[in-house]
Amino acid sequence: MTADTIATDGSKYAASARQFRANVARDLADPALRENFRGAMDYLMEKRKQAFPSEEELESLRRKCQLIKQRCLLKLPELLEQLESKLVQNGIQVHWAETTAEANTIIAELIQRQNGTKVVKGKSMVSEETALNDHLQARGIECLETDMGEYIVQLAGEHPSHIIMPAIHQNKSQVAKLFAEHLPDFSLASETATDVDTLIQTGRQVLRDKFCQADVGITGVNFAVAETGTLCLVENEGNGRMTSTVPEMHIAITGIEKVVEFLDDVPPLLSLLTRSATGQIISTYFNMISHPRQPGEKDGPREVHLVLLDNGRSQAFADEELRQTLQCIRCGACMNHCPVYTRIGGHAYGTVYPGPIGKIVSPHMLGLEATKDLPTASSLCGACGEVCPVKIPIPKILLRLRQESVKPPGEPIVVKGQGCNRKPLEAGIWQLWRWLNTSPTLYRAVMWLASRGRWLTPKKAGAWTSVRTLPKPARRSLHELVKQREKHRGNR
Amino acid sequence: MSNAKANILAKLKKQLQGAERLELSAEPVAEPEVLNQTQNVETFVQLLSANHAEVLCITRDEIAATVKTQLQKRNIDRLMCGTPWVETLQAIESEITLNTFYPVIDGHKEALFNTVPAAITGSHCGIAATGSIVLWPTPEEPRTLSLVPPVHIVVVERNAICNDLATAMKTQAWKAQLPTNVVLVSGPSKTADIQQTLAYGAHGPRELVVLLIGHSK
Repeated sequence: MTADTIATDGSKYAASARQFRANVARDLADPALRENFRGAMDYLMEKRKQAFPSEEELESLRRKCQLIKQRCLLKLPELLEQLESKLVQNGIQVHWAETTAEANTIIAELIQRQNGTKVVKGKSMVSEETALNDHLQARGIECLETDMGEYIVQLAGEHPSHIIMPAIHQNKSQVAKLFAEHLPDFSLASETATDVDTLIQTGRQVLRDKFCQADVGITGVNFAVAETGTLCLVENEGNGRMTSTVPEMHIAITGIEKVVEFLDDVPPLLSLLTRSATGQIISTYFNMISHPRQPGEKDGPREVHLVLLDNGRSQAFADEELRQTLQCIRCGACMNHCPVYTRIGGHAYGTVYPGPIGKIVSPHMLGLEATKDLPTASSLCGACGEVCPVKIPIPKILLRLRQESVKPPGEPIVVKGQGCNRKPLEAGIWQLWRWLNTSPTLYRAVMWLASRGRWLTPKKAGAWTSVRTLPKPARRSLHELVKQREKHRGNR
Repeated sequence: MSNAKANILAKLKKQLQGAERLELSAEPVAEPEVLNQTQNVETFVQLLSANHAEVLCITRDEIAATVKTQLQKRNIDRLMCGTPWVETLQAIESEITLNTFYPVIDGHKEALFNTVPAAITGSHCGIAATGSIVLWPTPEEPRTLSLVPPVHIVVVERNAICNDLATAMKTQAWKAQLPTNVVLVSGPSKTADIQQTLAYGAHGPRELVVLLIGHSK
């Protein structure tokens, strides 16, 4: 593909989300992939369970963090302004972007102003949203992922299949093969080639040179503290520290919902985040960045920038129920516990964010038209809502989005693309069903007809009967049976 | 593009109309389990050790000798240190080459990445509940000193160990004085990105040696 045929903003995900059904069929048929996901999800569920020994403490912490996020969302516009003014006061420059294309343009301009050609990136799902790597590559800027999982995924030309563990769909043999293909010094002939330690040390060696030479570092943000103008970054590998410390310029990018009001809001959210995500009581590193390099300091970036991205978040914000989507702290617990995600894996969704949270956040980013199948891909078992650290009622929101997708035309727009799944036949059937069930005479007449004409019931009814038998109406309706019985009694 | 800010804020404000008076329930107060100092130190040591850090409880006078032993055990003959440690470590200078940090990092990145096997820094405080060390970098002890060299030796004062992060933030009034960068370190760099198998030394230090300093052992 040439540079000008790649959509270098987030719009490319709309096309892959439309392929959901085909993707699911493809990935369900891949036994290795299913084994990798099953193993990983079992591991992560167990780790989370061990991290919360007290049910009571977990509940109280969830409630607290839910309320913290709800408070911060209710004050969102003023907190964003406070965050900006504090950051500017601290010497950090703030940029606002409504769309993914705008965010990419801002970042590319910052890098070009620095005459930068080499960029290292810490883990950032928001930069995946904007397809930043494609955008920079098309402008001759190398943008290298440095999180080990992201690095593997980038080498393979793929996208993350999990928001916390991006390369969860690959096992160590697959990674070794990938390294052998791409890294000149790595050979599969070595006995230890498929050892995880060997693989990680190989990645470390390659990436250390890159950190050392990079002009610009790009990271995400876990919490942006309005009160102090501080950007918090949670990580285990040290690539977040490297990326935000070694290059001359650090650019952080985040969604507008990541702002919290007080510094005191951070400890409970941090504790809940790492425990829900990987079962760690804290990550190896927790960075709190408040300034660029100050006079007299010997290292650190000379410029720090924050890009605040909307990309559909303000649409979710408008509706009180859908606003809860923005409480998300991106721990991934919902996908770890989702029976659908475990079976189909992260790539089938076709969106940046897979799993339950992806199903409720993607419609705002890509429109319901492209994502209409996602809210239906749930058994509504409720596991996601039960483990969500900030108590987002995911199953309820899935139902709500299903309703939005079949809304009749002419109603005020709540979600872009609403009504896209409305089919005249289906709508007509429900209309009929409503008449039938609100008019006793009509109901009885139709029941009479159905019971007398039961021999007309077809054997097959499309996809529905591929795994089920179509029920036949009874010989007599319950009404009739009861009436008969009463008559019989009266005769006695 | 300068309109982006105005547009986003206008949208959010409009959408909040009526909602801003929404009453939220009171947030439950998190009461962290408060332990006495001895228990805090125990928890701190136990959690850090479980996270693959090597914790050594020593006295102040033993710092230089311990550093020497630790380095020699790893076949390392040079150490980079912040200026506050030069005096303390003078005693081992005959066996260990001591370097201080560059005047500024610019122009010395290659050297830092490729020729410094180990570094020593102090710390701001410790956090017992999570087994974390709070680094509060200064011009004397720059950020990359505790990040780039493969072995990081860190000195923690026993009586600077706090109960938990929230308490440390409050009692030390962090919000009034946050420096360029604060980092909590809870072990050597690690990753489980390949097949959920834990591997140490991903990008940061492979080894974290904690010298816990107290009046008595």
